[in-house]
Amino acid sequence: MSGTLLLAKAEVSRLRRNKRYLIFTVALPVMFYLIFGKQNANGYGVSFKAFYMVGMASFGAFSGAFNNNTIRISQERKDGWIRQLRLTPLPANGYVVAKILASMATTVPSIVVVFLLGRFYGGVQMPIWKWIVCALAIWIGTLIFAALAVALGYKLDPDSVQPVAIVIFFFFSIFGGLWFPLSGALQKFGEFTPTYQIVKISTDVIGQGSIALINVIGVVVWFVIFVALATLAVRSTAETV
Amino acid sequence: MSQYGTGYRASDTDGGGSGYGSDTVYSSQDSRDDYASTSGYSTVTTYGASRGGAPVVSFENVSKHYGRLRAVDGLTLDLRPGETTALLGPNGAGKSTSLDMLLALRKPTSGKIQMFGSDPYHAVKSGRVGAMLQSGGLMPEVTVRELVTLVTGLHPKPEPVETTLKRAGIAQFADQRVDRLSGGQTQRVRFALAICGKSELIVLDEPTTAMDVETRRLFWTSMKEEVAQGRTLLFATHYLEEADQAADRILVINRGRLLADGTPAEIKARAGARRISFRLDRVDEPFLLGLPGLVNLEVRHDIVQIQSSDSDATLYAVLDAGYRPRDIEVTSLGLEQAFLAITAEDDAANGNPHAGEAI
Repeated sequence: MSGTLLLAKAEVSRLRRNKRYLIFTVALPVMFYLIFGKQNANGYGVSFKAFYMVGMASFGAFSGAFNNNTIRISQERKDGWIRQLRLTPLPANGYVVAKILASMATTVPSIVVVFLLGRFYGGVQMPIWKWIVCALAIWIGTLIFAALAVALGYKLDPDSVQPVAIVIFFFFSIFGGLWFPLSGALQKFGEFTPTYQIVKISTDVIGQGSIALINVIGVVVWFVIFVALATLAVRSTAETV
Repeated sequence: MSQYGTGYRASDTDGGGSGYGSDTVYSSQDSRDDYASTSGYSTVTTYGASRGGAPVVSFENVSKHYGRLRAVDGLTLDLRPGETTALLGPNGAGKSTSLDMLLALRKPTSGKIQMFGSDPYHAVKSGRVGAMLQSGGLMPEVTVRELVTLVTGLHPKPEPVETTLKRAGIAQFADQRVDRLSGGQTQRVRFALAICGKSELIVLDEPTTAMDVETRRLFWTSMKEEVAQGRTLLFATHYLEEADQAADRILVINRGRLLADGTPAEIKARAGARRISFRLDRVDEPFLLGLPGLVNLEVRHDIVQIQSSDSDATLYAVLDAGYRPRDIEVTSLGLEQAFLAITAEDDAANGNPHAGEAI
């Protein structure tokens, strides 16, 4: 395990230098919140300021766990870095576990910064436990996308993974209602996305102080699907990585 | 028994990509007791077996098939502690596949590989092997020092990072980013990753590719330091002079099979270590083919060229028979010709489409 932790640490320290990562996970959500956050509207029964705070924190964390990992894993597989690691005493699953551990660390800034912005710029007020539960829901919820990133990164080459990742990223952002609250037919469709479940869990906590079991089940089902895809992808490439 | 006229063209043995030379050489496929028969050196003497100590690595009838292609075909060999062994073969001979299987990256279709008495996977995970593959990459966006520190940290009993940086000759650019290095520098960083774990066995696949002559020389100097510390070294190469100078033992493989196994000197001898050439007016080919030590015979007009494993005996026999050839020259064959002779004979014996051109 210590080897895996070492690798995770190296992953985090290398991300700190990556401008693209900072732009997508922190700068962009912050900018959007500053521009659009103060509208007088509602979303899922809470104020827009609170909704948009949840949406932007999820957007940043989603980007951190998904975009970044997908492209890197694919590139590192092609470059032979994964292969090089297989020649070291690092455990067989060490690379993937380190990526997920690193994601756990690198999605935290998006959530913390946007939440601070929501509190002090947007003026969102709620009991401390709600802040904590919302932050955890977004943090754990978006981590399931690290598993999807592993699946795509192992299966697709860098050239083809980029457009696929962008399509999935926008699809789950828009139809999951990260940018604006869904209603009507769009909501009927978007309800099935994992991003919608994550936002809904948080807004339910803020508005009603409770969580709907169906949304938790939704996240778990997507988690199982992504992990299964990741496992298949890693196994199928065991001899070519 | 001698069949004159089943020749082959050496330049056709590996698809023309290697530049080993394109001399037309004709081979007599003469069966001799002391030399391998046309069946392609089927009886390989295992050089390592005579040495003491449990084998570091053993391949037992290992094969790897991809569909109908037999990338590795019944490979059996042992590596003994402290040996420096070169794996030599043309492109597509099965070198990389063999190393991949040894390093647990691929599973053999059949046969058994053991390393340090356990299976390859556990040997690799115990840190007893340090490896550098052509297909191995580096983590981008970190400095050389950070990368070496990381991989050093993965090993149970590593070398101090500064020592590795010095040994691999990368200390002067240790603070540069890995993704901004030249090809030769990258290669040295990969070498650093292979030695940083102070592993007992070091496996290198074409280690000096992309290195200039000076870097290559430095590389082998530091490699010899590693070996001097009692490490076992296995490297694949297509630079024959490297194998000749650096290796205690050479394994020649072609089309997935082990063709020859011995010291560089033995390999050269096996293929006919010397070339005798002279002019002779009335050439008696059947007589020449019966000469002792003869491996290859080439006759053009009055010029006779003989590749021989025992040039003295061959020449004396010519003189004893009453011939008085002119312009006698006896030259040593390099490993390159030896290698070509061995692989080409194998191709000819196994019906390579390019082989078997009649004189």
